[in-house]
Amino acid sequence: METYEILIVGAGAAGIAAAKAAESHGCRRILLVDRAREMGGVLLQCAHHGFGPDLTGPEYAQYLCKGLPNSVRWLPETTVLSVSPEKTAQLTGPKTGQLTVRFKKMILASGCLEIPPGALNIAGTRPEGVYTAGQVQAMMNLYQEIPEGPVVILGGGDMGLLMAGALAEAGQEVSAVVEQRPRCGGTARNRKYLKIYQIPLLLNATITEILGEKLLSGVTVRFLKTGEETVLPCRTLLIAAGLRPDRDLVRDLGAPDWMYLCGNCNRIHTAVEAVVLDGTHIGTEAAEAIRGAT
Amino acid sequence: MEVFDVAVIGGGVLGCFAARNLCRWELHTVLIEAAEDVCTGITKANTGIVYSGCDQMPGSLKARMTVEANGNFETLCRELEVPFSRCGSLMAAFGPRGDQALGKKWEQGRKNGVPGPWLLSGREALELEPMLSPAVTSALYVPSTGTVNPWQLGIAAWENAVQNGCETRLNTRVLSMKRTGASYLLETDRGEICCRAVINCAGLAADRVQELLFPPSVRIFPDAADYLVFDRHAPAPGHIVFQEPEHDKKGITAVPTADGNLLLGPTRRPASGSFSATDKSALNALREEAVRVLPELDFGQVIRNFAAVRPHPHRVVWKNGEYVPDGSSLRDFVIEHPAPGFYSLIGVKTPGLTCADGLGRMLAEQCAAWLEARPAANFNPHRSVIPKQKNDPAFRDIVCRCEQISRGEILEAIRRGATTVEGVKHRVGTGMGLCQGSRCTLEIRRILGEVSHGNI
Repeated sequence: METYEILIVGAGAAGIAAAKAAESHGCRRILLVDRAREMGGVLLQCAHHGFGPDLTGPEYAQYLCKGLPNSVRWLPETTVLSVSPEKTAQLTGPKTGQLTVRFKKMILASGCLEIPPGALNIAGTRPEGVYTAGQVQAMMNLYQEIPEGPVVILGGGDMGLLMAGALAEAGQEVSAVVEQRPRCGGTARNRKYLKIYQIPLLLNATITEILGEKLLSGVTVRFLKTGEETVLPCRTLLIAAGLRPDRDLVRDLGAPDWMYLCGNCNRIHTAVEAVVLDGTHIGTEAAEAIRGAT
Repeated sequence: MEVFDVAVIGGGVLGCFAARNLCRWELHTVLIEAAEDVCTGITKANTGIVYSGCDQMPGSLKARMTVEANGNFETLCRELEVPFSRCGSLMAAFGPRGDQALGKKWEQGRKNGVPGPWLLSGREALELEPMLSPAVTSALYVPSTGTVNPWQLGIAAWENAVQNGCETRLNTRVLSMKRTGASYLLETDRGEICCRAVINCAGLAADRVQELLFPPSVRIFPDAADYLVFDRHAPAPGHIVFQEPEHDKKGITAVPTADGNLLLGPTRRPASGSFSATDKSALNALREEAVRVLPELDFGQVIRNFAAVRPHPHRVVWKNGEYVPDGSSLRDFVIEHPAPGFYSLIGVKTPGLTCADGLGRMLAEQCAAWLEARPAANFNPHRSVIPKQKNDPAFRDIVCRCEQISRGEILEAIRRGATTVEGVKHRVGTGMGLCQGSRCTLEIRRILGEVSHGNI
């Protein structure tokens, strides 16, 4: 069985940073695993500027990968199926095959997942045209598809505003951004899209019902202060209701001392620089723990 | 014009099992389905319970078939390689009215020959099912109740029918029917089909299909229901829990499904314009009622809601220029036989899923007797499930992360007939997990597109 000092699950910003830090602190046997063909994680689907020194997501991923030493073993297109309390992991991938590896420490850098539409207590039908923000982002930037307008966006945080801008820029009508809170949550950088494209922002409002049989035809918006309801016709509903750490893989493991979490699977960050810092810090900590033990 | 011995109209779970059982005889059978896939109608929104027989009137066809089907369910699911969980059920009462009702069901179960229904005190019920509210006053424990995924069962029956020679016409709607001599002539939107017998399992449209040729006798008056699905890791009871209510409203049902998710529902409300639309106030009422029975339910872990339709059958009479229910209630299965060689299942509801194979077998036997068909010598009742593992790189390429489903499994689902994201989901379970398909739907769509363009 292949044995490593550190197994890093996920080669997004956090995983790459952790690998670099661990290596520079003396670890020589590091295995970095990701499901994708390339390193970068969610950065790869972020076509917009604003990462680091105003780069796009893929550019920033490249920038991060610079200086990643060759001694780090990189396994692309590989899924970690399970991790055992005995510090082994089952990996699988079309080229990797079925592989069990042993490790001393594991750094989980698996990112986050979006809160799915079904978790939001929205009644109505289940037509095509209801997507999460990340799904639409992947659709536009990785699959070269543009969802059909008019679009209604639920969630006035950064993700919702960013996608409002991206969809408007792609020529689709964004008929409203619906936000439950009394004010919009995003940064000024993303809020500006509402002005540029004159997108209505409905505050103190939520979506209570999805309409349409095969294809989405509209949503019912409820204004929380008055209780008033109105139907907004739309072909796409984009749900940007928030993110939660993806720790599905280690759910049954508890918190053993050999496991470290970093990046968005540790807690949700808003800036990629903070994710890199977290990864660097955790990579260093894991490497020092190994050195301290030997 | 195509010629068959038997045409089964409707590819829901009942039609699929009718088709499967017709293959036990030397009969050339076609299954006609209006939608793009089988099991996309009432079948896909079902509570998934394999009933014991405690709820059925002694002496009824339902009671007899349910007890028999329940006893045979392991065998059936082994033949078709479908997961089945015999988790047992607890019907819980919370007051004198419920206690009395449970006593009646216990007696009914004994009369029907249900193995070991037990009446438990509230304390005993809590010991068996600690998630129950301490307010429970008594419970009927039925160890033989189980649960199965309805569309997995239906699709398995269909695949088994196909491998035994049954043909299928999807996206095909029957527009009119004629009787010519001993044959039936079905005009569809994709050409004519001539057959010697018809089994009508058209679900919500079964009354209308029969009325293409015969005067109205039984019609379906549907009502609707809503369900909630919880994440697999959410707190869930170990048994199916039914609430025997103290009021006139419908009690809740909680099912720890064979897939591992907790299913909560169904509500009962009038059907609205859209059969697949859930109702806000009904869902809210369901939540409120459910915590009285199972206080530890965590609604933060709900991943989906869906609606279902229940097809209530009523005999109808002509009155003031329209057909109206005659006021009697039809509590048993309705099997109409308006002419030789024509059989209709109209408004089959609970326990239709439990009895699907039994009903299919009964109709197939009647049909075979009428057509004087010989038993098929080489009928194979076994159908193989899509394997999780294969020595093929595509089976190591995980596409659905939540459920760990590979590209190889998805391709196999497509090879077996899936043409939509939902069709793939129904065959291999993609999109059933925590993210509800938000991370794999685009990739599955791409794979479907590639296959249909012949690129794979």
